Amino acid sequence: MNDSTIVTDSVKRFKWVGTRPIRPDGVPKVTGRALYGADLKLPGMLYGKILRSPHAHARIKSIDISAAEALPGVKSVMTANDLPQQKFDYIGPERVAVNFWHVTRNIMAREKALYEGHAIAAVAAISASIADHAASLIKVEYEVLPHVIDVDEAMADDAPLLFEDMITRGIDPAPTKPSNISKRLEFSMGDIEAGFQQADVVIEKAFKTAAVHQAYIEPHACVAKYEADGQCEIWSSSQGHFQMRALTAQIIGAKLGDLRVTPAEIGGGFGGKTVTYLEPIAATLSKKAGAPVRLQMTREDVFRASGPTSGASMWVKIGVKKDGTIVAADGIYKFQAGAFPGSPVMNGCLCAYAPYTIPNQRAVGFDVVSNRPKAAAYRAPGSPISAFAVESVLDMCAKAIGMDPLDLRHKNACRIGTPTLAGPKHAHAGYAETLEALMNHPAYKVKLGPNQGRGVASGYWFNGGGESSATLQVNADGTVLVATGSPDIGGSRASMAIMAAETLGIDYSQVRAIVADTGSIGYTHVTGGSRVTFATGTAVVNASKTVVQEMRKRAALIWGVEEDAVIWDDGVAKPANAGDNKTLSFREIAAKAAATGGPITASHGVNAGGQAPGFASQFCDVEVDPETGRVTILRFVAAQDVGRAIHPAYVEGQIQGGVVQGIGWALNEEYIYNAKGLLDNPGFLDYRCPVASDLPMIDAVMVEVPNPTHPYGAKGVGEVGICPPMAAIANAIAMATGKRMTELPMSPPRLLAALSD
Amino acid sequence: MAKVVFTTGFARRYTSGVREFEVEAKNLRGVLKAMDDLYPGLGEHLEEETTVAINGEYHETGYFQPVPPGAEVFFIPRIEGG
Repeated sequence: MNDSTIVTDSVKRFKWVGTRPIRPDGVPKVTGRALYGADLKLPGMLYGKILRSPHAHARIKSIDISAAEALPGVKSVMTANDLPQQKFDYIGPERVAVNFWHVTRNIMAREKALYEGHAIAAVAAISASIADHAASLIKVEYEVLPHVIDVDEAMADDAPLLFEDMITRGIDPAPTKPSNISKRLEFSMGDIEAGFQQADVVIEKAFKTAAVHQAYIEPHACVAKYEADGQCEIWSSSQGHFQMRALTAQIIGAKLGDLRVTPAEIGGGFGGKTVTYLEPIAATLSKKAGAPVRLQMTREDVFRASGPTSGASMWVKIGVKKDGTIVAADGIYKFQAGAFPGSPVMNGCLCAYAPYTIPNQRAVGFDVVSNRPKAAAYRAPGSPISAFAVESVLDMCAKAIGMDPLDLRHKNACRIGTPTLAGPKHAHAGYAETLEALMNHPAYKVKLGPNQGRGVASGYWFNGGGESSATLQVNADGTVLVATGSPDIGGSRASMAIMAAETLGIDYSQVRAIVADTGSIGYTHVTGGSRVTFATGTAVVNASKTVVQEMRKRAALIWGVEEDAVIWDDGVAKPANAGDNKTLSFREIAAKAAATGGPITASHGVNAGGQAPGFASQFCDVEVDPETGRVTILRFVAAQDVGRAIHPAYVEGQIQGGVVQGIGWALNEEYIYNAKGLLDNPGFLDYRCPVASDLPMIDAVMVEVPNPTHPYGAKGVGEVGICPPMAAIANAIAMATGKRMTELPMSPPRLLAALSD
Repeated sequence: MAKVVFTTGFARRYTSGVREFEVEAKNLRGVLKAMDDLYPGLGEHLEEETTVAINGEYHETGYFQPVPPGAEVFFIPRIEGG
């Protein structure tokens, strides 16, 4: 066990759960042999190219593809007219309501181009260079329109409208005038005004955050092979091949059963690969050409045309008593959705105050479209944004009443039974324990020098459950294959193998975990929402239990006794009668599979619930260079309630990864648009992600408060770690400089400007 | 009996603003059926558009989840992560 693990129950000990074996996908990845989305090449494969809008906002008057079609080597050309019309209808739950009228227009523009990089048409040709040339021959007549980028400007009465008929949802009575505000929502509890009247100190502040990209290393890529009989195979890099199948089928008008999607290895997703951009286009080009087609984005395409998370404009007001009791919290959260409705503003509202016991709360949210790429999920979507504002104001409150910021949070920490703004009461503990881990951490007592400051912040995320499938096959030599439908982003194959080995009682090395395609495993929801170890893990454990039951049955047959007369003990069948010492090992029973009834397999599907939320608390120390405005992170301690770490190294990796992305969000990352609404920094040279030399060692403290609804106590760990860093760093800068930074990124120019005020 | 609670927005859309109900049900299917009896069509909306929290534990809205006596069953818009 790692020194930085804090266990709240010391009773249960496991053989494999909590160990750190080598990941099964490690060798192919470090030797460059793993196959990613762009690596597949099929016989006769064509190369696709998408023509993208050079304008931020323009009406498409005409598209002439004749010259492209006539170019030798071009096999197919498509526009949005090659995709079926979709009904204008919001389908599904509010936060994730899908309107395929919008989705198909994001895949390929119809009436208007709504952002620079918006797909207009596509070609497939026998070489990439011919495809490039053909795309350049497509003639598009645009009527350039005024554009709007900023969320506050997009909400102004005189803002250019992306959709001339969009009426804000969630306002009763409905407005009569169209706007860029897609939706207004409000959540409240208690009496907000009466709450503030009880406060000794009330602090309110406005904040802005920049849209930031998930910045996965691997650009989107796929290959589609559409056959004459209507069956289509797709290989793509995504966070959910079942999701890609469903979205592609809807967009191209195909049956689910006619599509088979195979997951490639994935080079990062962080939420951004839960949506489709290329697959419907590749399938359509392939259908028209009668040959396989590969499409892949360049880095510039990724920045210009795939989803970042929302930027936001917020106002937060919090009231506290002198003893530190928080009595009221209020906020307005305006989130950029990009060019189509659907920001994570609801999550931002519901997570904003979730770690705290606050009797009077309100959150008002706005979902706002503007001429930017459609926002996509990014690690705990919405929660980090509101956390930046709320956790900054909490820091100001702590300072105003002279209280340690950890003590303020701990005094108000939610407990089991605390009501939430979402409605339900908290059913799980874990937050206070993360604060206590920081309070007891030796680094929290390290003295700071000149221009240095320490900042604290916390975060909350729901975590996910839902549908997952797993199949186990026992081989004749006693090895076991574990197949799931969850693309492996964070080491889930190793975690699945660990849970199977633990349940079966066999050695980890005897288990091989794979990710199966949509034709080979039952439906499995995306690898997202921090759900895989919990939900898919539950399916694996349940299937493993079925295998154990079958092994007992086979052993009973071999011995000629009743099944009840056989027990399973650490991977070995034994007679229930204590006086009988004979045994049958897992391998011995597997070898007799044919004689005892045939292959030993088990499949299990779950719709897992009771996932338990994630809580994170972090502090960091920074040093600000007053001459350059550069912020150096001196140390970073990140405590997180992880339930139980199945593979602690990957849990630490998730925590550290979330912090690193949060540091980038805090200090440097932003989309820089010029006066024409065009992105000036669509590459990693100018869009500044943190690199190793920017970062200190991030001390990941795993707090284990086991989740009783998972067989081994696991909770989702992949997202909540990104919620606190922006506020923690802002709070540290405030301590170091006396300046409260309210806009992200807190880059050197912006910090220098604040210091010179 | 179980207490069924809706968000304000959901109640405004489907139950004339009424947010809380008492229903007799052993599992979530029983809750959905009881609500559908009160407001025809509501069961389908609940199934397709919400996440449910039973005594604070979040689940996808289905039929099989048990509803203990006295449980608070809270329907909220579904959450999706990254």
